[in-house]
Amino acid sequence: MRVRDLQHAVLPRVTSEERSRQEAVVSLRRLLNTRVRPQNIDAYSAEGLPAFVEANGRQPQSPDEVQEAFLMSPRYRRWSAANRAAQEMIWVSVGEPTYRDLDRMTQAAADLIDAPQKLGSLTLDPDYDPSPEVADLDIHLQPGGYGMDRGEHDVVAGALYECGGNVFSFGQGIGRGDSKASVIIKLLESDYEGFVPGKMLDMGCSAGAASAAYAAHWPDAEVHAIDIGAGMLRYAHARAESLGVAVHFHQMDASALTFEDDSFDLVVTHNVLHEIGADKRRAMLREALRVVRPGGVVIHQDVDIRRPPSLIHQVERDWDTHFNGEAHWATYATADLIADMHAAGFPREAIVEHDLAAIHGANRWYAISGKKPG
Amino acid sequence: MTSSVEALTSLLATARGNRPQSMANREAEDVLNITLAVLVELAVANDRIDRLERMVADLRGEPVEELRDLRYEGEIAQQRQEATDALLTRALRIMIDPRAQS
Ligand SMILES: C[S@@+](CC[C@H](N)C(=O)[O-])C[C@H]1O[C@@H](n2cnc3c(N)ncnc32)[C@H](O)[C@@H]1O
Repeated sequence: MRVRDLQHAVLPRVTSEERSRQEAVVSLRRLLNTRVRPQNIDAYSAEGLPAFVEANGRQPQSPDEVQEAFLMSPRYRRWSAANRAAQEMIWVSVGEPTYRDLDRMTQAAADLIDAPQKLGSLTLDPDYDPSPEVADLDIHLQPGGYGMDRGEHDVVAGALYECGGNVFSFGQGIGRGDSKASVIIKLLESDYEGFVPGKMLDMGCSAGAASAAYAAHWPDAEVHAIDIGAGMLRYAHARAESLGVAVHFHQMDASALTFEDDSFDLVVTHNVLHEIGADKRRAMLREALRVVRPGGVVIHQDVDIRRPPSLIHQVERDWDTHFNGEAHWATYATADLIADMHAAGFPREAIVEHDLAAIHGANRWYAISGKKPG
Repeated sequence: MTSSVEALTSLLATARGNRPQSMANREAEDVLNITLAVLVELAVANDRIDRLERMVADLRGEPVEELRDLRYEGEIAQQRQEATDALLTRALRIMIDPRAQS
């Protein structure tokens, strides 16, 4: 199943003018990413570093000082300002159609959520306080953030995430046909031959693009998915029902699962590691191991920012921490995930790191997997 | 169905956090933001013109390239030139406005 650009009932219906606006933002971001951002390292050497040395009489020593030196380069500052502006415009370009079409979308979601016969299910937990380290921030500047819930049948957070994610990814050079679920399915086929899950869990599912793709790929599997916010989960559930795939969505924290021990054959996370702090991450890795059955597989996949060639590149990548509301970008990039997986209970020999090619486009993904002994 | 302005206002009402400054000058950064937004709107307008061109070409039963290749001479060309001059005067007014910066 394609995960991007799929038509379904809760997707905002954009006018051709709104579509033009989204495509213009994609183009702007593509230009900034392919033509301007690659000059940042050069801007650092040519402008930032000499200015820092002139002012301080020495080379920058720490990541903070390298960051200070970057900001002494006018070229870098111009890119940074433009990149921030473009990121804000992503949300304007998808937020306008979302709120404009919201009454229809809310009704469509309500019809799907309240339908007497459904393929999957939605379990919200009104007592759960969405993980504040994530919900209290507008991560990557999404207005209202991941945890936003505007009340009964509200689906705004999910619509913004799905539509904004598409505009973001296409501008990032991630192919229209790419799918994180397909990347993981391919990894299972090559490294865990013959492994087909009967029951699986997708943690931090957001709008449920990967969860729905898994359910479509393994129609006999029971697919469960969790996230923190009701607005996100209602959307994900209605989306899956509209697409005709069975997924069971739950409002739950990845660091405190209410599932029984050994209940899944496969547990995955897509792009969650970079959103959470170290304590949450360690608890999530432990919980993933606890709920997967002996012989089952856990895979955590995320962005490919963990092997920067130098400190300068690392700080350049870390722009998202300072300017894009990605509080844990650097936490993730520098974490010792093998040690964390081991501390969670996986034997060392059962832990593997992967450098994965995207299914479509030149992008790469990072993943770390573990097989539960037994 | 909500109006576009209401939709934009609702969206902005939910945005949280501050906007860390990149440029040495905040006003310059604000102007850059406005300029980029206008650039996007220009792309939107170009798409609208393109759609109309294609429809007109279709109605006339000719390739759209032919319609785009139409060039005016004489009085019409003169009118277009004046319109462009006026547009540039409006856009670049600050460079010709006699008031000095204080
Ligand atoms: C970048 S999104 C990735 C979404 C989706 N898996 C994908 O790849 O497109 C990260 C998601 O993780 C969720 N998340 C963050 N902390 C979480 C937690 N403690 N428990 C469950 N989900 C969490 C966020 O709410 C967000 O939806």
